[in-house]
Amino acid sequence: MSATNKIAIVLAIAVAASLPSIWSNPYYVHLMVMIGIYSILLLGLDIVVGYVGEVSLGHAALFGIGSYTVGVLNFQLGVPFLLAIPVSIVVTAVFGAILALPALRVNGPYLAMVTLAFGTIIQILINEMTFLTNGPLGLSIRKPVFFGHQITGADYYYIVLAALVLTLFVVQRILKSHLGRAFEALHDSPVASDCMGVNVYGYKVYAFVLSAGIAGLAGGLFTYSEEYISPNTYSFELTILFLLAVIMGGRKTRVGPILGAIIVVMLPNVLSDIDLFRKISTGIAIFAVLYSVYAVAVGQRTLKQLALPMLVIIALAVSGYVMRSITDQRLTIFGVMILFVVYYLPNGIMGFLRGIILKVRPQWIHRHELALEQGDKQHIWSVPDHPVTARGYLLEARNIVMQFGGLKALNQVNLEVKKGSIHGLIGPNGSGKSTMMNVLTGIYKPTSGEIEFNGKFITGATPSSIAGEGIARTFQNVQLFGEMTAVENVLVGLHHTYRHSLLDVVFHTPRCRKEKLAARMRAASLLKFVGLADLANEEARNLPYGKQRLLEIARALALNPNLLLLDEPAAGLTAPDIKELIVMINKIRGHGITVILIEHHMDVVMSICDTVTVLDFGQKIAEGTPAMIQSDEKVIEAYLGGSVAKAA
Amino acid sequence: MEILAQLVVSGIALGMIYGLIAFGYQLTFATSGTLNFGQGEALMLGALVGLTLVGHMSYWLMIPLVIVFGALQGIFVERVGVLPALKTKSEFGWIMTTISLAIIFKNVAENIWGHDDITFPSPLPTAPLQFFGIRVLPMEILVVVGALAIILAVELFNRKSIYGKAVVATSSDRDAAGLMGINTGMVITFSYALSSMTAAFAGVLIAPLTLTGATMGVVLGLKAFSVAIIGGLNSGMGVIVGGLILGIAETTTGYYISTGYKDVPGLLLLLLVLSIKPAGMFGKSVIKKV
Repeated sequence: MSATNKIAIVLAIAVAASLPSIWSNPYYVHLMVMIGIYSILLLGLDIVVGYVGEVSLGHAALFGIGSYTVGVLNFQLGVPFLLAIPVSIVVTAVFGAILALPALRVNGPYLAMVTLAFGTIIQILINEMTFLTNGPLGLSIRKPVFFGHQITGADYYYIVLAALVLTLFVVQRILKSHLGRAFEALHDSPVASDCMGVNVYGYKVYAFVLSAGIAGLAGGLFTYSEEYISPNTYSFELTILFLLAVIMGGRKTRVGPILGAIIVVMLPNVLSDIDLFRKISTGIAIFAVLYSVYAVAVGQRTLKQLALPMLVIIALAVSGYVMRSITDQRLTIFGVMILFVVYYLPNGIMGFLRGIILKVRPQWIHRHELALEQGDKQHIWSVPDHPVTARGYLLEARNIVMQFGGLKALNQVNLEVKKGSIHGLIGPNGSGKSTMMNVLTGIYKPTSGEIEFNGKFITGATPSSIAGEGIARTFQNVQLFGEMTAVENVLVGLHHTYRHSLLDVVFHTPRCRKEKLAARMRAASLLKFVGLADLANEEARNLPYGKQRLLEIARALALNPNLLLLDEPAAGLTAPDIKELIVMINKIRGHGITVILIEHHMDVVMSICDTVTVLDFGQKIAEGTPAMIQSDEKVIEAYLGGSVAKAA
Repeated sequence: MEILAQLVVSGIALGMIYGLIAFGYQLTFATSGTLNFGQGEALMLGALVGLTLVGHMSYWLMIPLVIVFGALQGIFVERVGVLPALKTKSEFGWIMTTISLAIIFKNVAENIWGHDDITFPSPLPTAPLQFFGIRVLPMEILVVVGALAIILAVELFNRKSIYGKAVVATSSDRDAAGLMGINTGMVITFSYALSSMTAAFAGVLIAPLTLTGATMGVVLGLKAFSVAIIGGLNSGMGVIVGGLILGIAETTTGYYISTGYKDVPGLLLLLLVLSIKPAGMFGKSVIKKV
């Protein structure tokens, strides 16, 4: 973190701390407390919505669980503040886990609906379990007393501010660590994450539980702030309000949630006062008109693109003058705002500002942490996590059948791969090569048959655990983490080398720093090995196709594999690049890594493979040394069609 | 035993309504991979529009009008909420827009029809019929017959007509169907019209049995989603069976435990099905190709 950033943060905290002396009116102080509490929750929600990219409609319920944990503990048992708050974090995190474990097996719309169902159940339970929660009547408690001093509203503001700063700090540390990188990776390409040993399901649950814990903290603080809670607060509308705040402020930023919180806390006030609403909506309309005049004049947007949003904004402003009262239309305006934000401000206010700065001062925007390490030769290779113990064959697949509906993509295929060899897997298109790769790495569960790798049966294991056993792969249709830089891609592959815990991350312990440094050194060295050292800080999606394939190899090597599966690595490479690739594959084998190679470039296959297996229509038709394969009649027939004997 | 049989019979009518709304989810999910989170609101609007119309005409004449209204409402949702999000391939987008449209519809309905629940005049006699000591309302029979009829009609349309083939083709592969000259955008719009239409129809079917009001849709929509998940989002049989299971589970819980808890078993069942078989009880799990 740069010095200017640090100064800015200290200044921001100082300003926030001095606010109650400027607006000492208890009503304003209460609003600021609410902004603080919502900010805490939104910082947590952003982990799920922004980083993992899932829609949660259950956060109002989680907030409610936090609130009621504190409420019940204090009301029924008289548990003090300093104990009740941590308990509410833990209890909410546990509820988060109970929801996440089944719910995160699905994603997208399913998850949204399931979390919504969870929200409904929780609201019903709060209403019905009167012996604990006092039902619809609600619970009343008092603000805490510290050392004989009754905490007032203004004192409480500082408690919330401290909690907010702490949450900001913790969330920032987590998201900048390997955990945050894992969250982004699984959003970008779930398949690749799993094959890099980052268990997608596990990390989603992790992110959700973290987020739930933070919601619990916010909920607990809310109870003490309001001194009265009732079930109706934690409604569907509150959940939507939270989501609106996150997208409106700007996802994947720390300032965004705070901005979002300010907007949604002020919103009901704006919407209850028609005069204020008129002023603000007119102001926004004027700003929007000016902006679109500018955008059209510069030629950045066409009039057609801007016509509809302009119309909506102006209609909103005009409607303010037509309506007498606004409270009845509150939800409609709220809905229109969501529509507007989703369509015209998808990256939120922060994203919008960032876009403007990017045009004026691009050097101010740092999207990625720069990796400046220079790799060297001695850091490329590392000892595999599981040493090779198998004798003879490293991998044995027996009688593999993979059936898609009526089609047998693989039919009783046996594959034995010798330790330390380069094993070619060839065959015409659609012969089942890639299916075999997917079966070996656990992406497909074979219909029948068994796979033994390094003395262990891995049939039916998850892709991430197979990756953990030491099988790494590249993909035929490149599966990089497009929005991450080359070096970050490799660091995801090195995820397994980070053995420190969440607490190490938060406190930045020496252990954490050491592992981080080692991983970065290793990543730089791997990039150098595949010849991408000077592109380390380039986003993966901007690399040319051939380089992307090389990056996938570097990322796969980061797993310290015993077996490397290369799926058409030469596709998209130029002739000189292919020569380098051959050298590279030989070097990989030289370091004791067994290689399975799928390739259509026969010169590559024939020059480096020790054994070649040929598949056709899901069946093994030949196996042997390259020379044997080249003269095999069945193989020639499969590739060229017809019978050789007849043609001759 | 007689009480249980009575509860089962009452649960069947309710379950058919859930099944019918869930069927609407399936229609749009098949063609576009999207769902209308305001499906419950489509039902609510259908019921309330029907209520207004029924003051001027008979129940039977009102039904086709409500169906037309439902179709138009579905087209509106698709054009405003779903189409722009489909263009940008933003899943987050359409989830949020259909939710916000639902909020707007509910608010508008509150402003037009008020906050209170209103009784819907029943077109059939309200005196229950007796079968072996079990009482059945004529309206409940109409619900079951009506729901099955519309599901059958849509299925027949999909299987027998050339337009139905276009729908089926779009469901199985949108890009390929587009390349074969099918206007897939049109098919998606059509599926939304059809989906909201079934919801509106469900609304006027259920309205005489319950109360109508702006908030009636929220819980119905959510439960129908549970049904769609429990039965499987790609199984027509699944939604009927799922609906019946949920309907019966609800009436029995309401009687034996407490009416306050009657929504809980369905939602728990939803979480349970997800953790055991995410594709649903009747759904086919599709292997994602890499």
